[in-house]
Amino acid sequence: MSVLLESSSTTAAMRRNFWSGVWRVMRRKPSRLVGAVLMVGFVFMGVFGPMFYPDPLPRDVNQLTAPPSWQHWLGTDDQGRDVVALVITGSRYVLLAALVTAVITVVLGTGVGLYSGFKRGRWDTVLMRITDMKLTIPGLPLLLVLSTVWKFNSAVQMGLVLGLLSWGGVARAVRSQTLSLRERGFIEAARGLGLPTTHIVGKELLPSMAPYIAMNMLIAITGGVYAQVGLFFLGVLPYESNNWGQMLNTAVFRSGALTVPSGLGFLLGPLLAILLLTLAIVLVVDAMDEIFNPRLREE
Amino acid sequence: MTKQAPGVRIDGLTVVYKTPAGELPAVRGVSLELPPGSITGIVGESGSGKSTLALSLLNAVQPPGRISAGSVDIDGLGDVVGLAGEQLRKARGRHIGYVFQAAQNSLNPLKTVGKQLLDLGRSHGVEDLRGLVREAKDLLGRMGLDGARVLDSHQHELSGGMRQRVGIMLALVLNAHLVVLDEPTTALDMITQANILKIVREVHDERGLTTLVITHDIGVVAEVADRLAVMYGGRLVEQGPTREVLASPEHPYTRGLIRAIPRLVGDIDEAQALPGRPPTLATVPKRGCVFRERCALRMDVCDDVDPEAILRGRRTVACHAVAVKEHA
Amino acid sequence: MITGTGVVKTYKQRGKVLGAREVQALRGVDFAIPKGGAASFIGESGCGKTTLGRIIAGLETYDGGEVAIDGVSMTELKPKQRQPHFRKIQMIHQDPYSALNPTRTIHQTLYAPLSLRAKQTGRPASWIEGRATEVLSLVGLDPATVLSRYPHQLSGGMRQRVVIARALTVDPEMLVADEAVSMIDVSLRLGILALLKDLRERLGVSVLFITHDVATARYIGDDGELYVIYRGQVVERGPVDTIIADPVHPYTQSLLSAIPVLHGLEQPGEHPVMPLESLNESQSDEGCLFARRCPFRAERCTTERPLLRITEAAPQEHACFYPERRSVIARPMEV
Repeated sequence: MSVLLESSSTTAAMRRNFWSGVWRVMRRKPSRLVGAVLMVGFVFMGVFGPMFYPDPLPRDVNQLTAPPSWQHWLGTDDQGRDVVALVITGSRYVLLAALVTAVITVVLGTGVGLYSGFKRGRWDTVLMRITDMKLTIPGLPLLLVLSTVWKFNSAVQMGLVLGLLSWGGVARAVRSQTLSLRERGFIEAARGLGLPTTHIVGKELLPSMAPYIAMNMLIAITGGVYAQVGLFFLGVLPYESNNWGQMLNTAVFRSGALTVPSGLGFLLGPLLAILLLTLAIVLVVDAMDEIFNPRLREE
Repeated sequence: MTKQAPGVRIDGLTVVYKTPAGELPAVRGVSLELPPGSITGIVGESGSGKSTLALSLLNAVQPPGRISAGSVDIDGLGDVVGLAGEQLRKARGRHIGYVFQAAQNSLNPLKTVGKQLLDLGRSHGVEDLRGLVREAKDLLGRMGLDGARVLDSHQHELSGGMRQRVGIMLALVLNAHLVVLDEPTTALDMITQANILKIVREVHDERGLTTLVITHDIGVVAEVADRLAVMYGGRLVEQGPTREVLASPEHPYTRGLIRAIPRLVGDIDEAQALPGRPPTLATVPKRGCVFRERCALRMDVCDDVDPEAILRGRRTVACHAVAVKEHA
Repeated sequence: MITGTGVVKTYKQRGKVLGAREVQALRGVDFAIPKGGAASFIGESGCGKTTLGRIIAGLETYDGGEVAIDGVSMTELKPKQRQPHFRKIQMIHQDPYSALNPTRTIHQTLYAPLSLRAKQTGRPASWIEGRATEVLSLVGLDPATVLSRYPHQLSGGMRQRVVIARALTVDPEMLVADEAVSMIDVSLRLGILALLKDLRERLGVSVLFITHDVATARYIGDDGELYVIYRGQVVERGPVDTIIADPVHPYTQSLLSAIPVLHGLEQPGEHPVMPLESLNESQSDEGCLFARRCPFRAERCTTERPLLRITEAAPQEHACFYPERRSVIARPMEV
């Protein structure tokens, strides 16, 4: 009986162990904590940020393209709007689109890669040819073409398109990981024991690749941010809402921030945001391997 | 240029590894002499420190490990613990040849054996590269291989036994007279193993070498070595002439280890596994005898006092129980 | 009971665009391992012993001949239909480090096959936990300390025991141990060998032992049968002790001669046999496969292949035209 009780709580205990392990890993290097805090900050910014500001943002007609001041920490844009407020309200579109991109990239890439690598044979060949074809399509030009017909009004739409364009690399990488893992003894043993494929893929293969997938996910987020900010910066998309890329575009092309010092804050705002987000992700990626590897987690 | 087989004197050698739990000794206070022209075999299980000891001979312990105490005095070279940089690099290869485990990872998969041989020659400033190749072919021929063909081959074209012979050739081609073989036959078949051991023995005699063989397999040592040293938990527990130690082992670990070897003849039940398991860097006791957890002769004194190596005839044994018997 | 008749396996050598060479891994092997019995396959690496073991465990297919489990032929069955039969035969891998998933605790590792087994046999979920502790106790581990551990927290010997416990979760009839002790510390090897023997005696599980170290083959039990395999062919076969004491095939004699002698404790055999050259897969297939390396080869050996049979020369089956007893193994020193 005691054995029974003990084991029914094992799962819960293990979950607790996992999180205390994560905490240990994060604590090991202060930089990781900084990354995590920054990341939480960005999530908070994206989810709640826009709620703190009226829509549309108030314009201060006396301060057009003003330099940083106590009143406006990063100055104002060419319409007299506060840059900090713009960065925060603009974050939702950017982050949501990047998240959707990352999720699609990882889910699609992992799915295709796993299926290909695990099944081998004909399906593998077909899927990998498709992947190769997809990889040869140059992303940015295609996006430029797409943007002439599609307006990308919603962030989800934007993320969807970016995600569909970027899963190829992950699929290739996951496939090769799967190919090497499936030769390992424990996968063979699971097959010999007659365990169902769902178990082998879900419980044996996926957890072994978790650090890899998580890393790819985080890196895909930065990729998503760069791609859409780039698109907006190039000005190929009309913009109704705020967006970091659109801010950069206005700052450079309309306010001449590169030559006029007063527009510097306007330019720095979104740049700083992108920089900090990338930094946060890089710092957290560093911890992924240790978080998912029980051996490293403990030490 | 004929060199003499060098003698080696290891004295009080301690190698520590830096871990989150502080610096832990992988090898602790080991003193061992390799007489000139002898073959010495070091036997130990995983975590016994035998490989670390072998690396110390080249002063090649990699961080986070470092030699924290003791000396390794090699004839014609001096104390290698004090050597560094270019001096050390020249000493490796010229004086000390090292044959890595089954020579599987020590060959570059992208280059032919011949190219690697030339690289080795150039990095040691050999001027007569033709002579070097000739020497290599001779050595390979001596070991029963077609020298020219092997030099033209890539690693994957060679079998395990052939790679091991290439490893021995590379260790000897610069005329080193101290050779360290790390697990020379692990992962090789019995017949290949017998061949390699025969070659080691013959080459040793012909070239006048001092040879150190590191292995987990007592059979390998029994086959080739004149002297046997047994390591456990970073300590040298027993050493002496091979036949003597095998015929009448004194240390309880040596005894247990010999009893644990599956044999071809005799009563099956006579052979028995040792209870417990070998210690790791983290679990090896800091005080007292390292073997006490698995020892049948454990006494109170074993918990606190590290047994000194005592000389008994031509052997040394580090065990309290044996020391007590001596006095009684 | 698992039997094989004329099992053939051929590999295509890859990487050669023109004239892909075929390598015969198995050239028609017969074997029979009775329920609760024991057998050992010995030979050099590349001789086909591992391939045969994997075929028996259902991890690989064969190209010819027949494998039957409890009288049911596997040849005609579809992969899905074979699965329940091959479940009865569990493989113990050589490397206990890669045989356990590093991201899963021992509890999780055992739970998955046990819950499957509970479903198959209609047992309640409560049975699973009890059975998990039971199989761990069977292999000599303390369930209380081991269950919550990850593989890296266990020593090689303990890991191999967990692997065996995992195999026991599906109530196998046979364990296939492929070099199961070669990566385990010397002082612990006998413990694993003794465990396999013990499981045979207590549970009636048959054991197939695949190894290049003949000495370990003895430890499966004296009623075990030894198959000496060379280049995909069984060259000698008979009771373990008979073959070790009185080998008649020169290849078996070479294998036994190669075992290191513990000088000081033992004296070498009087007539050790050393093969003339090392194993070369591309040697001609004509005549006796061992002829090129055999120190005793005669004219006939290069043209005609000897078949496995019994002659007056020896009680065991052998594939040699000129079987002769030779004293090859080391004997304990007379004191």
